[in-house]
Amino acid sequence: MDGENNLSVIKLKNILLVTVPDDPGDDIIQELQTKVLHAIEKYQSKGLILDISSVNILDSFFARTISETTQMVALMGGQTVIAGMQPSVAITATELGLHLGKAISTLDVDRALDIFTDNFKLV
Amino acid sequence: MAIEETGENPIKNEGDIVTCRKLIRNVATTAGFGMTDVTRIVTAVSELARNVYVHAGSDGVMRWQLLYQPGKIGIQLVFEDYGKGIPDIDQAIEAGFTTAGTMGMGLSGVKRLMDEMHIQSELGIGTTITVAKWGRAK
Amino acid sequence: MNHSHSKYLSNFKNWAEQKRFLDFTEKDVEFLKKLHPFAIEYADSFVDQLYEHLLQFPDTKRFLSDEKTLNRLKLAQKAYFMDLTSGEYGEEYYQSRIKVGIAHQRIGLPPRVYMSTYCYYMQLIIPKIYGNPMFDVETANGVFLALHKIINLDQELAISSYIHAIDEVISRQTEEILEMSTPVIQIWDGVVAAPIIGMLDSGRTQQFMERLLEAIVETNSPVALIDITGVPQIDTATAQHLIDTINAVKLLGSQVIITGVRPVIAQTLVHLGIDLSGIITRPTMASGLKVALDKLNIKVMDNPRA
Ligand SMILES: Nc1ncnc2c1ncn2[C@@H]1O[C@H](COP(=O)(O)OP(=O)(O)OP(=O)(O)O)[C@@H](O)[C@H]1O
Ligand SMILES: [Mg+2]
Repeated sequence: MDGENNLSVIKLKNILLVTVPDDPGDDIIQELQTKVLHAIEKYQSKGLILDISSVNILDSFFARTISETTQMVALMGGQTVIAGMQPSVAITATELGLHLGKAISTLDVDRALDIFTDNFKLV
Repeated sequence: MAIEETGENPIKNEGDIVTCRKLIRNVATTAGFGMTDVTRIVTAVSELARNVYVHAGSDGVMRWQLLYQPGKIGIQLVFEDYGKGIPDIDQAIEAGFTTAGTMGMGLSGVKRLMDEMHIQSELGIGTTITVAKWGRAK
Repeated sequence: MNHSHSKYLSNFKNWAEQKRFLDFTEKDVEFLKKLHPFAIEYADSFVDQLYEHLLQFPDTKRFLSDEKTLNRLKLAQKAYFMDLTSGEYGEEYYQSRIKVGIAHQRIGLPPRVYMSTYCYYMQLIIPKIYGNPMFDVETANGVFLALHKIINLDQELAISSYIHAIDEVISRQTEEILEMSTPVIQIWDGVVAAPIIGMLDSGRTQQFMERLLEAIVETNSPVALIDITGVPQIDTATAQHLIDTINAVKLLGSQVIITGVRPVIAQTLVHLGIDLSGIITRPTMASGLKVALDKLNIKVMDNPRA
């Protein structure tokens, strides 16, 4: 349905930024993982920010993929940050019993970028 | 605007999971469910439609219906497949039980997200899962 | 959330049961139909007399303010009067009765007026039943009783929908009070606070969670203080609700600090085996705020001139 060009991985210095569409299908989520890992390899990025502020559904498949991707990114030396989850999505995910593994959450992309600045000493 | 009261959508391929979600988001929002309830309902749809696609080994269908009671609005969703069936329903709804090596959070989670859940399954014949959610009418 | 039917408002199935209870049978339907030609004949005169009567009392007059309303109501009354003897008492009839009750409640017509209007009606109709040369005494009795039954059915529906409407108001107000009893307020740039007063049940937690999370996102606050000084007791369910809330807040990218943990609550939590070890807790809101400001790298200094 939605073509590959729907999902772009943006490089910002040593960080990658991906904006996830509002209702991503399994294929897009899978594509996200592959694209991110290739970009990390190519740019030697230290961090990944997933901007999910438009996302209005997070089910077990999406949660699992985020958690796995976080692990894979970690193996390649990067930290994953989930930015901007909507309240209704957070409540539903909690009730569903989902967890995002080692991914860190922030309120928005700005705060995610803060995490990668010096005073947080994560990079 | 008049709201259609019932409808259905096939579950045959992966793309149908998204189609079902979009359809029900529309129906539940128009019916007057609040934002968080819409998210709960759509997430349940995603889990149950994916279960049909992943586990049943057959095509399936999602049927929806709006329910009205004084002061309340409800939605009922039926997921029906003609696949292999669930051998032990009690076990299947336990959090963490899976035959697919995934998290096994789908059915137990749906039970928490929705107000009512009923599973009927026969080996080799198929599975029918019915869920419902109630909200305050606007 | 409460899924049960309103305990006052019947559904159509219950109404059939109510008919059986009153012994409202086909025979009654036949008797009512016998009255129908007279209903047609006298409807206009009855309705005129009724409204003339209603206009004499300030209590009822105020609902009949203008000519337009008056004419509309007269037409509705006339239609009702015909319906009453039409012989059709199915779902459509039932629905229209419920609507009337709700409409009366909405304009604030007291049930007293509604009830006494029926009584006045009867005063107009009874002479037409018993003084009717077409009816022998037995028929007149049958017609009278059938009319009495259908009016009783109508009244029951209307009064129930009155009570149902009031019930709705009460439950809406209860919800508003709940909302007021757990305010979520921004107390510093980047810090929201939510004092919880009373017990947290699952309905209340859901609602509280929604408002807390929305406030966090709206104010872009990385720290949320939940003060439980006003929570009298804590049980496993309440604790689980708190933990759910804390986890949801964490998914947003904010952090909860629980404040106001009184000795009795601390004791209960430990005895219940509830693990809050990953969560920052403080005895008072003030000490919780200190932790919050620390996390935000905000330094509050004593005024040196003080
Ligand atoms: N429609 C179905 N037909 C056959 N078996 C099913 C069906 N739905 C669920 N099951 C069985 O029930 C088990 C539990 O389902 P559940 O959705 O809870 O977990 P899962 O699908 O295995 O994992 P997750 O949903 O977390 O990705 C499945 O592993 C599968 O064996
Ligand atoms: Mg599943």
